[in-house]
Amino acid sequence: MFINWALQEINLKIVYYGPGMSGKTTNLEYIHSKLDSSVAGDLVSLKTKEDRTIFFDFLQLDVGRIKGKRPKFNLYTVPGQVFYASSRKIILKGVDGIVFVADSQKDRMDSNIETLLDLENNLSEEGMDIKVFPWVIQYNKRDLTGIESIDILQGELNRYKVPYFESVAVNGDGVFNTLKAIINSVILKAQKEL
Amino acid sequence: MSLLERDGSKKIEISSLQYDGIQKCLTELTQKTRATALLLSDINGQLIAQNGDTRQINTSVLSALAASDFAATSEMAKIVGEKARFRLLFHEGETNNVYLSNVGENHFLVIVFATSVTLGVIRVYTKKAVETLLEIVNNSSDADNGKEILNTEFNLHLNDALDSIFKK
Ligand SMILES: Nc1nc2c(ncn2[C@@H]2O[C@H](COP(=O)(O)OP(=O)(O)OP(=O)(O)O)[C@@H](O)[C@H]2O)c(=O)[nH]1
Ligand SMILES: [Mg+2]
Repeated sequence: MFINWALQEINLKIVYYGPGMSGKTTNLEYIHSKLDSSVAGDLVSLKTKEDRTIFFDFLQLDVGRIKGKRPKFNLYTVPGQVFYASSRKIILKGVDGIVFVADSQKDRMDSNIETLLDLENNLSEEGMDIKVFPWVIQYNKRDLTGIESIDILQGELNRYKVPYFESVAVNGDGVFNTLKAIINSVILKAQKEL
Repeated sequence: MSLLERDGSKKIEISSLQYDGIQKCLTELTQKTRATALLLSDINGQLIAQNGDTRQINTSVLSALAASDFAATSEMAKIVGEKARFRLLFHEGETNNVYLSNVGENHFLVIVFATSVTLGVIRVYTKKAVETLLEIVNNSSDADNGKEILNTEFNLHLNDALDSIFKK
């Protein structure tokens, strides 16, 4: 969280985290495509030729003045592929809230679990504790066949009972619900601490 | 100006006094170097202040990219056995150059300037400005009044705003 008292601006960093190909970049692309350019700035994607995120995606949301204050949300995605571990650590620095984008497909369960552990470790290395940190889970790709039930996903991934959402990011289902939830969690936390 | 929260996340604040000091320093630097644009950011890419002609530049994106540039080169430095991280980075272009300089451990300056401006001038004035800026950012002056920046009413309004923005 960064507050500029002269400009009455409050900046919050939200990171989309999750295994490779789970749909993190797709979330940002959808948000960017639907919002007015006065709200969502440029979407910057550092990616490979094959459209895999190599470092991060970045999108800033500026919802304008609210009661004289100007909240801005800096949305980032991390690269999900295992060997980009150091990039994920870099992007997590200064994070205020996390959206964990899980892939609902049965054969991606192990990757979901591994990536969640990776997140927990990276947060604790930075001195942050996932148990009290604002985060939400998005179960993506609900449109596909061969997906795990929500009960099973919840049992495997949502030990800390954080808010969760079902989504089909490619057509936008659940994308804004997820975003609104993480914004509210982050703001609520900021409120407690100011 | 940096506080550690209970969950370990960091809160960084810049007071009006600090902000004025930063702007004064950046304005001077812009004038002396004839740089096109200047940004001061924290090491995680959060833009703190900007100066000069930034109309054609998406400064929040530039700030995020510059931070990752720094972070990536620091990792490279570590891998090749360098103890300290590189203090500055220089990108040379056809018409514009970008110069990045550390401001202590937690901040950096981004300087965009035309190729007609010599690097020596940039380097000399930047070095002086960095000292001033370091003093300002490290000197947590009295934070401003009106800490109720976020209250329940704010929440309601924010949610209304989000609802209308997110409405397809
Ligand atoms: N069927 C279906 N496909 C999806 C959905 N969301 C994303 N995809 C597809 O999944 C693929 C990977 O999506 P990305 O958003 O690039 O995944 P990512 O999480 O950013 O992947 P990395 O950058 O490698 O970590 C793309 O082909 C998307 O079109 C969904 O809800 N349903
Ligand atoms: Mg991606």
